[in-house]
Amino acid sequence: MQEFSPAMLLVLVPLLPLVGAVLTVLLGGRLASRAHLPAIAGIAAAAMVAIVLLVATARDVNPSHGAHAEPVRPVEMIATLWNWASFDQAYAPPADSPATDPRLTPQNPQAAPQALGFTIPVALRLDPLTATMLVIITCVGLLVAIYSIGYMHDDPGYPRFFALVAMFVFSMSMLVAASNFLLVYVFWEAVGACSYLLIGFWFAKPQAARAAKKAFLVNRVGDFGLAIAVFLLWMSYGTLDFHDTISPQGVIMPGILGQTRLVDAAGYVLPDAAGFAGGTIGTAICLLLLLAACGKSAQLPLHVWLPDAMEGPTPASALIHAATMVTAGIYLIVRSAPLFAACPGALVMVSIVGATTALVAALIGTVQNDLKRVLAYSTISQLGYMFASLGTGTMLGFTAAIFHLLTHACFKALLFLGAGSVMHGMGGVIDMRRFGGLRRVMPITATTFLVGSLALAGVAPFAGFFSKDEILAALHAKAWPIAHGDHHAALSTATGTLHAASFTPHGLETGSGLGLDSLNRPEIWQLLFWMSLVTAGLTAFYTFRAVFMTFTGPTRIPEAAGHHAHESPPAMTIPLVILAVASTVVGWLLFSTNWLAHFLSATPSLTATAVAATATPHAFHMDLAIKGTLAAAIGVVVAAIGHLGQRSDGPQLERFLGPLQALFAHKFFFDQIYTAIIVRPIEAFAMVAAFIDRFIIDGAVDAIGRIPATLGGIVRRGQSGLLQRYALAGVMGVLAIVVLLAWQLRG
Amino acid sequence: MTPLSFNPLSSGSLLSGAVVATAVSLWLLLPNGRERGVARWLGTMLGLAALAAFIAAGRRLGGLGEEAVFLVVSVVAVISAAATIVSRSPVYAAIWFALSLAGVAGVLLVLGAQFLGVATIVVYAGAILVMFLFVLMLAQPAGLAPYDRVSNEPFLSALAGAVLLGVLSLSIGRLSAAPPSCCSLPSRATLTLPAATGAPTQPAQPAPVADSLEHNHVARLGAELFGRHLIAVEAAGLLLLVALVGAIAVVSRGDAEGTPSQASLHTADRRPSR
Amino acid sequence: MNAAQSLPMLQNALTVGAILFSLGLVGILARRNLIVMFLAAEMMLQGISVSLVAWSRYHGDWGGQVLVIFVLTVAACEAAVALVFVLQAFARTGRLDAAAWQSLREANLVRTVDHELPSIDTLPPRYPTLAPAGVLPPTDENEPLQREHV
Repeated sequence: MQEFSPAMLLVLVPLLPLVGAVLTVLLGGRLASRAHLPAIAGIAAAAMVAIVLLVATARDVNPSHGAHAEPVRPVEMIATLWNWASFDQAYAPPADSPATDPRLTPQNPQAAPQALGFTIPVALRLDPLTATMLVIITCVGLLVAIYSIGYMHDDPGYPRFFALVAMFVFSMSMLVAASNFLLVYVFWEAVGACSYLLIGFWFAKPQAARAAKKAFLVNRVGDFGLAIAVFLLWMSYGTLDFHDTISPQGVIMPGILGQTRLVDAAGYVLPDAAGFAGGTIGTAICLLLLLAACGKSAQLPLHVWLPDAMEGPTPASALIHAATMVTAGIYLIVRSAPLFAACPGALVMVSIVGATTALVAALIGTVQNDLKRVLAYSTISQLGYMFASLGTGTMLGFTAAIFHLLTHACFKALLFLGAGSVMHGMGGVIDMRRFGGLRRVMPITATTFLVGSLALAGVAPFAGFFSKDEILAALHAKAWPIAHGDHHAALSTATGTLHAASFTPHGLETGSGLGLDSLNRPEIWQLLFWMSLVTAGLTAFYTFRAVFMTFTGPTRIPEAAGHHAHESPPAMTIPLVILAVASTVVGWLLFSTNWLAHFLSATPSLTATAVAATATPHAFHMDLAIKGTLAAAIGVVVAAIGHLGQRSDGPQLERFLGPLQALFAHKFFFDQIYTAIIVRPIEAFAMVAAFIDRFIIDGAVDAIGRIPATLGGIVRRGQSGLLQRYALAGVMGVLAIVVLLAWQLRG
Repeated sequence: MTPLSFNPLSSGSLLSGAVVATAVSLWLLLPNGRERGVARWLGTMLGLAALAAFIAAGRRLGGLGEEAVFLVVSVVAVISAAATIVSRSPVYAAIWFALSLAGVAGVLLVLGAQFLGVATIVVYAGAILVMFLFVLMLAQPAGLAPYDRVSNEPFLSALAGAVLLGVLSLSIGRLSAAPPSCCSLPSRATLTLPAATGAPTQPAQPAPVADSLEHNHVARLGAELFGRHLIAVEAAGLLLLVALVGAIAVVSRGDAEGTPSQASLHTADRRPSR
Repeated sequence: MNAAQSLPMLQNALTVGAILFSLGLVGILARRNLIVMFLAAEMMLQGISVSLVAWSRYHGDWGGQVLVIFVLTVAACEAAVALVFVLQAFARTGRLDAAAWQSLREANLVRTVDHELPSIDTLPPRYPTLAPAGVLPPTDENEPLQREHV
């Protein structure tokens, strides 16, 4: 038997969960309580394959040590399954378009622009970013699926749940493995659909159905942005592939993120970032991609769906809304890093959106009484952190975001599954004010939840501490560039303009970057840094408020729990323990070896000069660590003052906030504003359309349908049964014929 | 025939006017619930005017005597026929029909069909009409029944009759003596298509066939009948037998089902209108 | 009779036949008494007979007259059978009305009935009677003075 080629392995990662999903759909009814087997088998196999692929990819990354080491070369492998569609001569690029081969400069005019064909291949790619995401998706998916065996045990929709989870793992794997923007769009929608189906899993409950609809519609706004971005990308680049393709005539068609744009013939990075669209078009593309990411990752202003999405089953929330789907936006921006690097204005918008979202969500989370809602706002806030880090545009920023994504997947999934365990034990009650002191009732859940909370709050040496530290370092480097030894950037500051890196991109400068470049000032970055620091404190506060209210103090069990109030079964506690161990170890391990950052720097997108040139040596910033830990400690202490022990059901924060409490509790009135501006006009329009449909269109059709009956009714009145009238009618018919004949014969 | 131009005295316009007048007069004369009004008087006048127009549009025959005889008998036949269908009392209608038969017999005699003229009187007036009168005696209620005093769609019926009469009379007016282009019989008049044939009309030749106005007319008719049409005669006889047997059979079955009640006779006539 | 006159004679006779036929048609369509309808049908046959004899005379062919004989025969048979049926119809409905039979009408239509006609008070005419000379005739109140109006 021949060895498995990496391409075949790569195809297996989405394929096995898909097979599991199909088998669950077909056989789920008959398998009944064992309906989880095909899905778990598929996801487990995919997880193993993903780990193998990670190891294989890691081996290909050339080590780079020291200041004079050779630069990291991009590592990628493309597996083209088949051609979905192809059009000949679809695109005629203008002479200075980024679509032309970037190696052919204007001094080398042998590239006369001719009409290029356009193909949409179903192509999968394997590079460090994809490998990392695949491991996260499949491993967290596996743990969630195992957890669901216990959590969804009595649910009548048991097979349906596992089919949807397996389908989701397939869609998300394809999304991160797709090597073509159109495929990304397809699976972007697919994960949105799976999310809709999982949020509305208990569709008979009206709030769940409404929440699912809301999630889907808000995501739709983001998807619209992605669609327009795809159109603009095609217009600018002539292709939608990430990778380079070679036509049958031997012409190299550069992909948007292909190696011809990134490296020269010898395999080394190009000296500059020629060939990426900048200026107005480029900024528009980047802002639209940001809109799409906001929709999927629940950032302002499209964050309103995530708290409502807690209506779905807790394992689904853990998988989709904590660990994987909401990270699709982060993935998209990291993947499009060179595009963003050519448009500094878009980058600063990313950070502004991220930091603002982090702060607002943290403020809302401080007054929530529903444990899952607290975690939902916490997710939004942490994703905002990641966006803030992405917006710095430096190698540190990108890798820190992915690092935080990984650690966040671990501890947020852990927290959600722990909340699910609490909910399972409390008979469906999740309002923290109705139970307390559960550490005596559910010790394992309490311990793992505490570990996750420490990781979330950023307490050393848990995972969140290191990743948050990296993010704060990236922001600090942008805010105070001189302190980090970035003299080029400091000089540029003196002249009033600051670029994302210490070089000038030669992208198409068609106009200014929509005026956003003016935001790229150190003052803005300093503001974002302080916002992030305050958010860190708030994070610790609401996290430990939840911990103290739930697990400390006198033990109170609500009546709905009945005899359920005990520790969860092993199927649920084992994943909790695994994730707790991961939350403890992963951060320290990856940070100390700097393995992840080095591994990710071999991603083609991040080897672009614009990004790679911003790489700084790996360092542990003690001052930032102290500031972060101080903020966290303040938060924990305030929470303890309010709710530890005997005060766990004490008076809430509302007394101190005054009018702010209404603002936070109503989620900054986003939902009300959207309802007034968008939902009501659309409802009115829908009623008009329904009226037109029912009375005008249906009325017209019904009227046409009534014509034969009416005509028949008219004619029927002639059938009187009177023979002489029948004879008269017959005679008149005969006479008509006779007159006609006589008329014709008269000549 | 000359193309129709508006000459009030041309045959075409006279015929058209006569047809229209006939229709209107019939419409006015047909029973429709009105009694003895202006309508009947007006209808009668119009009918007579129509008759006069028909006569004026008729062809001249040459001999005054022959023309006068034909005119008298045809006028009698037509007026009686009109009176038959507009009389409200069915007995009067039957009497008028008898008179019409007399007129028709006269027409047939003028045309040289002596046997048929007499046969018309004998069979129709003598047998069929008497049978009708017997049935009337059996079935007609006393006084005028409501269904005798109203007509069914008088306007449309008169219109139908007028259209038919107009088409027929116009077609008759187009007859000419040109020899036919198609048929093998030595006929002397056809309905011509001037555009198709294009041949000018020419006077026809007298037929060498013996004239029917001979003293052995009946013998010759009989020879013709039993010679060439023997099978048809036998079939006609069979038909008569069948009709006889059938009529008796139906009557005998009908007798088994009983006779109508006297109450239904009277109450059925005076049903109130809705 | 020479040929030059036979065409006008033909046309006149055909016109008479056409008039009789048309009048018969109007009678069948318009009158509701079954007997009068049959009288009108017989009149149509008379019109046909006149036309056939006219053509026969014009062509000098006996065929037309022979056909009229057969028409006569069939008319006789038809009249006999038809009158039997008229009597059967009268036995069922008690009337000689063609409009009495409306069962073949559409299901949602109502029976067509006549409007109320103004009654005609037809007093039986009083015929004058002459007293015998010199003697007053005996008066009998009960004896009907004349027959009923037919």
